[in-house]
Amino acid sequence: MDGIVSITDMSFSYRDWLSSRADALCPPVLSHVDLALEDGSMTLILAPPDAGKTTLARILAGLIPKYMDGALSGTVMVDGHDLSKTEPWELVHCCGYVSQNPLDELIAPTCEDEIAFPLESLGMPRYEIIRHVRAALEAWGLVSMREASAQELSGGERKRLLLAVQDAVDPKVWILDESFDDLDVSWRERLMDRISSRSNTSVVFGSRYLDEFHGTFDRYGLLAGGRLSFGDEADIALEFERLCETPYAASASKSVPGFIPVSDAAGCGRSVMPLHVMEREGKEHRLSCTDVSAVHMRRSMVQERPFTLSVPRFSLLGGEVVSLCGPNGSGKSTFSRLLCGLDLPLAGTFSLDDDVASRTVLNRSVGYLFQNPDYQIFLPTVKEELAWSLKRAKIPQREIDRRVGECADLFHLDLDETPSTMSFGLRKSLQAATYYLLDRPFYILDELDSALTYATAFDLVNLLRHNGAGILLITHDRRFADALADRNYTISDGLLSEAEEGA
Amino acid sequence: MSQKQGSSNKVALRLALVAILTAVTVVFTMIVRIPTTKGYINLGDVAICFTAFTFGPWSAFIAGGLGTALADLLSGYAQWAPISFIVHGVEALVIALLVRSRAGRDSAEAVVPLWRKILAGIAGMAIVAGGYFVGGGALISGFSVAAVEIPANLAQSGIGVVLGLAVSQAVRRAYPPVRSLSW
Amino acid sequence: MTTDTYVAGTGVLYRFDPRAKLLLMVLLCIWFFLPVSLAGAWLVVLGVIAAGVLSVGLRRMFRTFLTILPMLAFMILFIPFNVRSGEPLLVAGPVVLATREGLLQTLRLMSRFVGVTFVCALTIQSTPMGKIMLALRWYGLPYKASLVVSLAFRFIPFIADSFSQIKDSHRLRDPNIDEGKGRKGYRSKLGDMLPTLTSALVVSLRAVPSLAMSLEHRGFGLPGKRTSYHVLETSWRLFTDLFISTMIPVALWFLFAVR
Repeated sequence: MDGIVSITDMSFSYRDWLSSRADALCPPVLSHVDLALEDGSMTLILAPPDAGKTTLARILAGLIPKYMDGALSGTVMVDGHDLSKTEPWELVHCCGYVSQNPLDELIAPTCEDEIAFPLESLGMPRYEIIRHVRAALEAWGLVSMREASAQELSGGERKRLLLAVQDAVDPKVWILDESFDDLDVSWRERLMDRISSRSNTSVVFGSRYLDEFHGTFDRYGLLAGGRLSFGDEADIALEFERLCETPYAASASKSVPGFIPVSDAAGCGRSVMPLHVMEREGKEHRLSCTDVSAVHMRRSMVQERPFTLSVPRFSLLGGEVVSLCGPNGSGKSTFSRLLCGLDLPLAGTFSLDDDVASRTVLNRSVGYLFQNPDYQIFLPTVKEELAWSLKRAKIPQREIDRRVGECADLFHLDLDETPSTMSFGLRKSLQAATYYLLDRPFYILDELDSALTYATAFDLVNLLRHNGAGILLITHDRRFADALADRNYTISDGLLSEAEEGA
Repeated sequence: MSQKQGSSNKVALRLALVAILTAVTVVFTMIVRIPTTKGYINLGDVAICFTAFTFGPWSAFIAGGLGTALADLLSGYAQWAPISFIVHGVEALVIALLVRSRAGRDSAEAVVPLWRKILAGIAGMAIVAGGYFVGGGALISGFSVAAVEIPANLAQSGIGVVLGLAVSQAVRRAYPPVRSLSW
Repeated sequence: MTTDTYVAGTGVLYRFDPRAKLLLMVLLCIWFFLPVSLAGAWLVVLGVIAAGVLSVGLRRMFRTFLTILPMLAFMILFIPFNVRSGEPLLVAGPVVLATREGLLQTLRLMSRFVGVTFVCALTIQSTPMGKIMLALRWYGLPYKASLVVSLAFRFIPFIADSFSQIKDSHRLRDPNIDEGKGRKGYRSKLGDMLPTLTSALVVSLRAVPSLAMSLEHRGFGLPGKRTSYHVLETSWRLFTDLFISTMIPVALWFLFAVR
């Protein structure tokens, strides 16, 4: 039982909310996990999305099962505290957790208050707090934003704010959940330097294996199927890629270099189904615009005033996959909202098959899958959720049942499950499935890959384009875009333009 | 080590719940509004009734009262804030007390007969209309103007009760963990 | 949606201690309900407006005035219903349209309404929300209560933002967008809002456990006394400001009280 963290034979299952009994449980998220960490060690644990890394991190911080009902067995010791007998606030100095989704974590009205909050809880004298807050703001490049609120910051700035809070408290164990995501290269290096100083014990959870990780950590682990295993770096990385990128196979329109097709799906994979690309009746649709401009509101107040986004030329044909790449806050969402008719451009118009398309026409022809699938979920079962739009369209009940059943099979959904308590991946599939049933000629997929495995994302794209729909992929991941898209658009400095072939 | 479920100290959870319900009330009050003399007809009552039908009396009282008062402050009707705090706070408290079931709330569908919910809703409407008549009449506009407001207030809180009840049912079914939040 | 009522500035009002300002606000609001002469009440209203124009500017003051304009119009329209039996002022045939007493009563109500409105508006426009909370804590508001308010402010923009995206998202999913627009009855209009409201509530409630976790993870619940990063300085200025805050209403009372 040496070391600062020791987990022995720990299993955890969430409460099953479908059952009316309070002690009914879902299948375990983590089973028989063992983990021992030396003081000052650095560990990288790779895990596909939805594999339970947030659950594990929150267990270590003493927050589960206090706040998420479920059953925990085994022992978890952090810095001499038995977590079954410890309240979360007793762990402030021992275990710091930086969440994957910063908006979940941020609680104060401004950046400086955010950093000051835990220090106030600890009863630190005011002059000490001032010193710590200033140091943390400077270290993470947030001085100019000290009075900005969380809502005004960009994704990367929010991540840095969380790291600044962690830095100010400086707990013994740092648990970093996807903290490298959304950070620019220079900040990633900064973070790597910070944890490489080994003044703390660090555990990094990741769902992308980055080259920067190579050779820097003491141990490499893989969390999948509820189990945690350790091994040689190369083996772990390879096994991880295999889990995430299978079973993407022949069904895609073009072969994808760098993705290893493996027919035997394991872990997070799905089975490959034959795709029959049905031709739409009549001609192929074409959505286009020329010389459109719009006011683009920046997410970050630090970047001054709103500016104008201009789109000299854009087109999307039925059946093709086109990507739109650009950094956070560059205007990708602004353009998407124009394209599906939610906002009106300042100048210019959109046309569908050479006719000017009104907002209502765009609303009905372009399905926009928001990054957050929860925006659409409001019914108690998958079945009702899928059937809702069809009912509104006054389709006969028997036909609805047939289509919904078929669609659930395609998207691997269980008709009786409760959407709001499904995993993120399944909620995303449900969101795609509702649009699939709407049968729109065009879809915009916003950051589809951000919390899904490549394999799942590919599957969803293929299902949505099955009957000749044109797809616009919004992403900041070039690799994902290159793997799927026929053409690429990029946004930089307020200008949307088509990328050169092979650029 | 076994379950640490039901840790006794859940102060943070209660605070979080009340804070978020307050924010929801503010947003519902401010985002949809139809101008009237008193300012506007809004969906604030939907949020208040939702809270009262779904959660306990105290969270309903604080979230309902504080939420509407903050919304008044933010939209430049500061002079109404104290009246709104009391009227809507009491509205939420009374509704929540009337629909409170003796059985534990964690049992899947707390069995409160519909007539009791409707009764509670009517009591809530009466409190809103009466409260604004007395408060507004005595402190702000005089009773003759306050009397004219009664139908508008009744309509607004009536819509609130009906939609609040519907949304409460829908949320309970769509998001079952809501059962673990109430106090 | 804005949650910021503060208007940056440097006038006298801004240099006044927030604790004293809150005291002055409450005392002035009470003052308007005391038996003071009507002319005195309107003079004070003019004084408050002048102070406002000098500190937050004419435009701001006008915007505040616009919010109460409909109410004022109603009050004027309803003069005929106030105090029916009195000295007739305006007569149309056999009907007494307005009485002297009715008019005076309306003017009294309007002075209170306008006065209280501008006093409150000026206070929140010239004081940042954080300072108001600190001042309230100085007056004894418990920490947990101020935390609830500050957390609510943190989540208002988040929920407002989610709400509008949810509305859009349901709009794109609805096969009957804009169908029969304008012909829809109230019932179906309200029914159409149900999906949006439900999703908005679910998205908001999902944030509750994470917020609670985050609070405890940041040491909320520790038994020791919390320290405070922001403080309101306590110096001789506080006492002079508090003294001024008390003296203004008292002086006004002696000037305009009806005996």
